[in-house]
This record gives sequence, C-alpha cells and structure tokens, in this order.
Amino acid sequence: MSTGPVLPTTAGSNAPPPPSTTETVTVTIDGKVHQVAKGTNLLEACNAAGANVPFFCYHAGLSSPAVCRQCLVEVKGQPKPVPSCYTPVADKMEVQTATPKVLDVRRQMLEFTLVNHPIDCPICDKAGECMLQKHYFDWDGKLARNDGIKVKKAKVVDLGPTIVLDQERCILCTRCIRVCDEVAGVHQLEMSKRGDHELLGTAPGHKLDNPYSLNTVDVCPVGALTSKDFRFAMRAWELHSTPSVCTGCATGCNTDVHHSRGRIYRLVPRVNEQVNKHWMCDEGRMTYKAVHADRLVAPMSKSGGGAVEWDKALDDAARLLRTVLDGSPARLGVVFNAQSTNEDLYALSKLAFDHLGVTRAYLAGRDQGWSDKILVSADKNPNTAGAFAVGAGRLKTLLDLANDLKSGALGALLVLGTDGVLVGDKASAAMPLDRLEALVVLSTHKNAVTSAAHVALPLAGWAEIDGTFTNKLNMVQRVHPAVPAAGDALPGWDALSHLARRLGATMDFQTAKAVFTEASSKLAFLKGADWGRPVRSVQLRFANSRG
Amino acid sequence: MDNTIAPSSRRVVIGIQEPNDLDAPELPTDPLPLNMGPSHPAMHGTVRMVVDVEGEKISSVDVQIGYLHRCFEKESEFATWTQVFPYTDRLNYISPMLNNVGYAMAVEKLMGITNQIPERAQYIRVIVGEISRITDHMTCLGASAMELGAFTPFLYMLKAREWLFELLEEVCGARLTVSYMRIGGCAYDLPSGFAEKLRDIIARTREVLVEVGKLLERNRIFRDRLDGIGIITQADCLQFGITGAVGRSTGLAYDVRKDAPYLVYDRFDFDVPVGSVGDNFDRYAVRVEEMRQSMRILEQALDQIPAGPHMINDPRIVLPTKAETYNSIEAMIAHFKIIMDGIHVPAGECYSYTEAGNGELGFYLVSDGTGRPWKCRVRPPCFASTSILPNLLKGLFLADVVPTFGLINMIGGECDR
Amino acid sequence: MSQHVLDRLKAQFTNGEIVDTGSHVGDEWARVRRDAWVAVATFLRDDPSTKMEMFIDLTAVDRFSTEPRFDVVLHVYSVSLKHRVRLYVGVPEEDPTVETLCGVWAGANWFEREAYDLYGVRFKSHPDLRRILMYPEFVGHPLRKDYPKEKRQPLVRRQPGTVD
Repeated sequence: MSTGPVLPTTAGSNAPPPPSTTETVTVTIDGKVHQVAKGTNLLEACNAAGANVPFFCYHAGLSSPAVCRQCLVEVKGQPKPVPSCYTPVADKMEVQTATPKVLDVRRQMLEFTLVNHPIDCPICDKAGECMLQKHYFDWDGKLARNDGIKVKKAKVVDLGPTIVLDQERCILCTRCIRVCDEVAGVHQLEMSKRGDHELLGTAPGHKLDNPYSLNTVDVCPVGALTSKDFRFAMRAWELHSTPSVCTGCATGCNTDVHHSRGRIYRLVPRVNEQVNKHWMCDEGRMTYKAVHADRLVAPMSKSGGGAVEWDKALDDAARLLRTVLDGSPARLGVVFNAQSTNEDLYALSKLAFDHLGVTRAYLAGRDQGWSDKILVSADKNPNTAGAFAVGAGRLKTLLDLANDLKSGALGALLVLGTDGVLVGDKASAAMPLDRLEALVVLSTHKNAVTSAAHVALPLAGWAEIDGTFTNKLNMVQRVHPAVPAAGDALPGWDALSHLARRLGATMDFQTAKAVFTEASSKLAFLKGADWGRPVRSVQLRFANSRG
Repeated sequence: MDNTIAPSSRRVVIGIQEPNDLDAPELPTDPLPLNMGPSHPAMHGTVRMVVDVEGEKISSVDVQIGYLHRCFEKESEFATWTQVFPYTDRLNYISPMLNNVGYAMAVEKLMGITNQIPERAQYIRVIVGEISRITDHMTCLGASAMELGAFTPFLYMLKAREWLFELLEEVCGARLTVSYMRIGGCAYDLPSGFAEKLRDIIARTREVLVEVGKLLERNRIFRDRLDGIGIITQADCLQFGITGAVGRSTGLAYDVRKDAPYLVYDRFDFDVPVGSVGDNFDRYAVRVEEMRQSMRILEQALDQIPAGPHMINDPRIVLPTKAETYNSIEAMIAHFKIIMDGIHVPAGECYSYTEAGNGELGFYLVSDGTGRPWKCRVRPPCFASTSILPNLLKGLFLADVVPTFGLINMIGGECDR
Repeated sequence: MSQHVLDRLKAQFTNGEIVDTGSHVGDEWARVRRDAWVAVATFLRDDPSTKMEMFIDLTAVDRFSTEPRFDVVLHVYSVSLKHRVRLYVGVPEEDPTVETLCGVWAGANWFEREAYDLYGVRFKSHPDLRRILMYPEFVGHPLRKDYPKEKRQPLVRRQPGTVD
C-alpha cells in the first residue's frame, strides 16, 4: 500500500542559475563585428550571428570531435579552412562563412559523404527530417559524377532492446557514441576499421541498453539508427509536432508530441536548458502509448446501466453526491491527483473547498519508482508540486483515505484521476470502495476504480488538453492539445464545471486559460507564470524542425 | 359564352366571372417565393436563387452560392506550392489552363523568377491559355443558347470545343484536370505536329463561329431574350469589380493582357472588343469577338514560338530525371526534397493577376518561407460578377433569369472555390 | 510603380492613419489604422491623383500568434490611371471588427461576407453580414489557422457507430 505522492525534501528553486562571468571578445563574422562571450565555439558564434553554417557531427549538447568537416569556415590568417565547431572564438578573429572556397569545400565533403550512401530515401525512416538530405539540397544540388559500386555493409544490426542500426546509412559522425558517453555515462558504442570501411557497432561485450538509448536516434543525422518502436510506423513528413511536457515523472522534460491524424507516434525531447537540455529517457518516450490504450471513452452510470450521455451521467453524479451532502457534508471526500493539470486541480479545489465545504481531501498519484542523477525522478507524477500547492496543506495521504474508508467516515467520494487509487485483490481490504454510497470518478482510463464507480466520467488526457504542470523545480510548464480527446472525454475543469453547476455552485469556466488566469490570481506558485500563446501543430516536412 | 381575351395581353386571368370586365384592376397578389436551384437545369454550376416574384416580375432575389465550395484555400495551406496546381484546375473548370498559368505566374512573381522563365514556356502558356479562353467562351455561349431553346448551336460549339480539348489532351494528357503548368515553366513540351493541328482547328473553328452566328444573331427569339435585358453600366463594373467579357460588354476596355501585359502578350497584335449597351447581347457579342481575337493571337504565337527549354534551369525547382533519381543518391534526395518538402518560396506576399476566361483572375499569396502557402487566395472573377446579380435581376421577368445568369457565366468551381 | 499613391496617402494622412507602407516584388502596400479604414478607402477612390475607382479584392489573413491576429486585405485598381495598391488593416482577435467598405465600393458586399464567413472578421454596418460559402449552421470559421483541417461538421448525421 503506497502513501501516494510525496513532495521531495529539497525542492529546487525557480531562479535561473547565476550567470557565468561575461567576458567577451570581438569577432568579425562575414564583415560584421560581433561581441561574443569568451570560450564560445566559432560555429555557435557564427550561427548566432545569422550565418548558416551546416554541420553533422557537432551537437549543441555534446562535445565536438570535428569529424564531418561540414562546418569549415575561413579564418583570416589561417592557411586552410578551419572546422568552426572545434575552434573557440579568439579576439580580433575575422571569419568568412560563405566564400567560394568554403562553399566548394563544403560541397566536396558532401560529395564524399554521398559516394557510399545508399539510395534508401524511399524506405528510410529519417527521410523528411534527414540532415544529409537538407544539407545536400541547401549546399550541393549537383548531380552524381560517380556511378561506381557503393561499399556494402550490414543493413540490419540489432544493437539492443530499442535500436536497430543500418551501417550503410551511417555517415560516421560519432554523435551516438558521444550521447552514450556524455549523457548516459556508459561507453556502449564504438567505431571500428578505417576509411570507407569504417563501421559503427557496439563496444566489445556491450549492448546498447542504457535508459537514454533512444537519444541516439534523435541525434543521428541520417537514418542509420532507428527506434524499434517507431521504425516503419509512420513517415516523418506525415507527422505534426505539438509542444508538450513529459508526464512520466516529476522532472517534466519538455517534449514534442509527434502525431498524425489523431494518433501519437512518438515523443521527442524539446530543448530546455533548465530542465532536460536536449534529452529525455526511454521510459518517458513510451508514455504516449497509454494515450491510446484502454481509454474511458463515454460517461458510465450504474443506474443508467452502462454508457450514457454526459447530461445523464452528470445528473446521476450530482444526485448521488447531493444525497450524501444533505445527510452529512463531512462524509464527502475528494481525491486530488498528482497526474492532473494545475487547472483541473484548481477547479476541483474550488468546487470542493469553496463551494461544498469539503473537509476530507486526499492526494493520489503513482507510486515512487527508480531514479538516477541524470533526468529520471523517483516521483512518477508530473504535477506533485502543483497538487501540494493547490491543496495548501489540506490534502491527506492515501493511507488516510484507506483508514477513513475502513472506518466508514466516508459516504461519498469524488475522485479526479484514478492513478494510485486501488481496488480489488489484496488492496480491496485497504481500499474498500464498495462501501461507499456514492463513488463519482473522473478518469482517463478504464480500470477497476471506474468499474466500481457509480458514475465514471471520461477525462481528456495530457496530450488532448490545454493546461499546465508544475515540475519538481516548481516550474510551471504548458501542455498543448495534440490529438482530439478520446471519445466523449472532456478536460477535467470542464467536467467539474458542469458538475458544479448541477450541485448549485457557480463555476463557469469556458476555457483552460480562464481557469489558469483565475488560479494564478489566487495561488502563489502560479503568480507570474505565463500562459503563453496558442500554438499550431507544425507539419515536420515543412518546418524542418528536426535535422 | 363570350370569354374573349385580347390575344396580346400578358395578363393571366383565372376564374373569369365577368368576361367583359377586362379593365378592372388586377387582383391583389402576394409575392410568391420561388426556389431556383441549387439543382436546376438553368442553374449550371449549382447555385440557388430564392426569387420573390410578383406575377412574372422579380421583386427581389437572394443569390446563394457555396454549393461547390471545396475548401480550395484550406487545402492549399496544407499542400506544397506545386500540389496546388491540381486544385487550380478545378477553379474555372472549362478553362483550367488559364488558372494553371495564373497560379504559376503568381508563385514565380513571389519567388522573383518571372524573368527567368524560358521564352518557349511563355509562348506555350499563351497558346494553351488562349485555347482555353476559346473553350471557355464556347461553353458559355453554347450553354446559354441551349437554355434559350437553341440546341443546334450548342452542339456545334461543343463540336469545336471537342477539337480543342482533344488537342489539349495531346499536350498534357487530360481535357480538364490538366495540371500542366509547373513553377518555372510547364510540365512537357508541345507534342510534334501541334502547330499544324492547331492551325487546322482554328480554320474549322472559324467556320463554326460563322455557322453559329447565322443561327443565332438574326434569330428573333434569341435576340428578343437578349437585347436590352440585364443592362450593367460601367459604373456598376467599377463598383463591383466586374472584369472580363461582362465588364467589356459595358464599354469598359479593361483587359489585363493589354493594360498590364504579362508573358509575351505585348508581342501580339490583337484588339479588345467592347460593347456599347452592356446588355445580354453585348456579352454574347463580346465573347464571340474575343474568340476571334484569341485565334489571331494563336496564329501569331505559332509563328513566333522559339525552340528551347520549357523549364527554368534551377535544380532546386526542377525535378531531376527519373533515370537519375533511381540511380543516384544525389538526384534521389533532390527529387525527395522537391516533392516532400516542396519548393521553398521566400517569405513575402504578392498579388498577381491574369486575364482568365471570366476576367481578372488574381492570386494573393502569402508565404512564410516554407514549402507550402501560408495563404493562397484566389480572386475569382465571376464571384464579383455574380455578386451583382441580386441588383441586376430585380425588376426583370422570371424568364430573363436564364439568359442573364447564363451570360454572366458564373462557374461554380471558380465562384465557390 | 504605384509609389506615388503611397506618397499621396502619406501626405494626406499625417496623424498616424497610415501605419506603414512598402513595396515587395512590385506590389505597393500600405497598412492603415483601423479607425481610418473607410476614410483612406474613400480618399483613394475620390482623389484625382489616385482615382481607385475599381474594387478588385478583399480578403483576410490569419497571422496566427502575432498581434493583431488578423489583417483585412484590400486590393483596388485605377482603370484610368492604371495603378493598383494593396491596403491592410489589422484586426485583433479579441475584437475582430472593422467598418464595412460597402459604402465606398458596393462590390465589397460579398467579399466582406466571405471574409466574415471564413475568418470571423465582422464588418460593422454591413447591410447583410451572413455566411456565404459555408452553410448557416456551420460552427466556427474554417480558414482560421486553429480550425483543424480534419474537422467535419456534417449537416446530416451518419448512423451511430460509423466512423466519420
């Protein structure tokens, strides 16, 4: 029996890290003088200054080995073009990023890269978001001068539980090796052999099985490393991207949800230097699967004999709750959930505390799990901090809930989100929900709790709604609707507003933004938080957002 | 029983009690609401008119369009710039080439490559465009004549239209869904023997026009239903933005080909016919003369057309050959990027306009620099001319709706998009 | 080509009514303050040096996630002087209204109805502001960027249980 979510003892502060010393140097880039922080590498300085210097092996989150030779620029005083990703800026440096010589070298390097590249675009997972395609089209554009035989390598190499490698497509940039070394902290990938026979493979005695392995697929500039989960599932250019936040744990990694025609196909990390930088864990990436599995799609009512219309379900719910409330208001309990958005939690707290005068409130959520020092938190709920802040000390634990249920102190329970609220088997003794006169449940998924409920209302999940989560650093982060809500599901604040009106309360929220605006005027932790602008899904092929 | 009624009287008398009392005031009548369309033999293009008639006279009309709305703009915003061509085919679907040309020129204007389009491609655009103008006018006139009971001219016109359609089919493989233009030129060169065939068809089409003219222009019934009916003034045209044959029938000599010459139109000797009254017959006559002028242009274009490429020379716009695509990674990538990513059009906005079958066909494009339009607005010429119908039809007889509507040439595909 | 029209506008309206002007790929444009929309249009039509007597086109653009969200875009042409110009007026999302141009060019009627239908921009004192391309029961404005392309609003409901 778990106690539900707990607030970490050392909650981080909202304040950004103190700025490092800002010593600048003067660099001339394409004839324009720029002040650049000392120690910046030249590639970043050039691209920040608006130049468009291409690269394969450089990655903003990794070290630079300067192997791809795409980012060559001319520096005054240097006899040859220099790899800008490997060159720190120096004072009085004069850089040219697009001289005929640079363009020619860049084109020749691309030609070398393409000599052995297989003609795989039509069957390649990366096509459409491939950096090689992009750079060829942007910087080369010439037809092949060579129709010799390409070097043959292995097409399907099983590297581990999550990844398949195509050695022919690999352009030997070593990004994946560095991701394992520098992010996951394990050396699992290596290069072997030389020249055009050089190969990527696992290090002797290793498999690619670290919990951050799928980041290698993201950083792979071509389609050499493919995710077993995503492989052949969907063409990249059919995907639309909507910014969101991972709900796998309290870290709150920023993500992009990649979806098409109402279905999610993958989650990829979105850069946020304060939270997840460029990365996310494999476990978090798989959280999308639950969005489409076992969903509660229609309101259910025991008295209605199964699936019913919203109006009927809400009427039933209100009547059941009203019966208990009229008898003894103290016997009504509400269960908050650390999986819910701040908006849903605020709407519930407004209904429960302000309108119904509820005295028994509990916080449910997923159990603690494994953690590491990289990204994964032990708290597997995305909004524990928000739930505690909304609850403001009024929330009791699941243990209290079990005790109150057993003692019969509770006659009715209104549950927002069923994660952690257990029934059946050995937990049935701990959580005797069947003793309740009224159990009204709002849930995204079908489970034992919704089957036990007198009324179960379908909730729209995190990928279907506008809302905010508060991560363990107390950062309020926004999710956007990527796919339409499953079936008749409604956002929690919306369903609760309907229910509140039937219980005689005046709660009239029309949008999540309205809930947020009201909440942020009342709750300290939301003060100063910005709702942000609405976003549109971006179709990947047009946005070139990756690669 | 003496129930004589003067045969010339238009009045309909029901239930005559006192047959001699013909001079008595008419019975009071209520306006009768009458639905014409959306599915009605005279409402070609699927439009609905809710007409209030008092007797035979129209007291008010509500013209309701939109039955052929196909979300042209919304679909375009989700298609690459090249993928919009098939949608433009279906705007004015009896002169699809003109829409193709108009759209291609708009994108080229926004990309700043208008002056790099090879001359041969420009001539091809003129030729297929003028052929389409002839088919457009033929369909309009033939159908209008048929709706007034003249079936033979309709068949004659369609016969000639068929020759032209078959020629276009040789050019691009389709009669209607041509999708022949590309950004930067046109998809294929003209087929061999095209010039001779076209000259032959022009000669035969001229004869058809003479025959049709003989059948219609001195035909009492035809003239009675056209002359002086549905008069539009020049001031109306300016106010409502009416261009094309309808605009020129009022004497407003506005033709984009003359007033803002595009492609190679400044190299041809042709006249812009204008009417003097602005009635239905003028709209008929202007169209007939425009077909003759188009044939003049066609003959000059066939004389002048140079040899050369039919597409711009730019690997980021033109697809590589299939042989290259299947056998080298370079061409494969280029093909892939142009098809999947789309041709990138620099961010900006432009309004480009050409003379289409119905008048000034404008494209107002907004690009955000990606491979698809942010907005792809069509300024449909017949939308403007249809919008005057409520004013125009008021006070006419119900029977006048048919020729007036017919000769405005509302094309559902273009008007509703 | 039509630069003198812009110059004339700027000389005539000096109180900030002309927010900005410019020229791109040969098209001259001016951005007009919302309260001066009709005044500028009337001036363009009547001034002997501009004489924009012909109405060409009116539409709207959804510049999603910028302020103001919508632009109403007008194209007009002078048949006698052979120049044309494009006018913008910014319309915010919260108050998507602008005065109608029906009194300046009668032909603006249907074009404004279309802009209202597809973008939800309301034209004040328009004589007949109804939907024109969509049906009256339609909910929302389909050309807004946040209207999903896949969304269906069938007038005739299909049988329950069938996929739309």
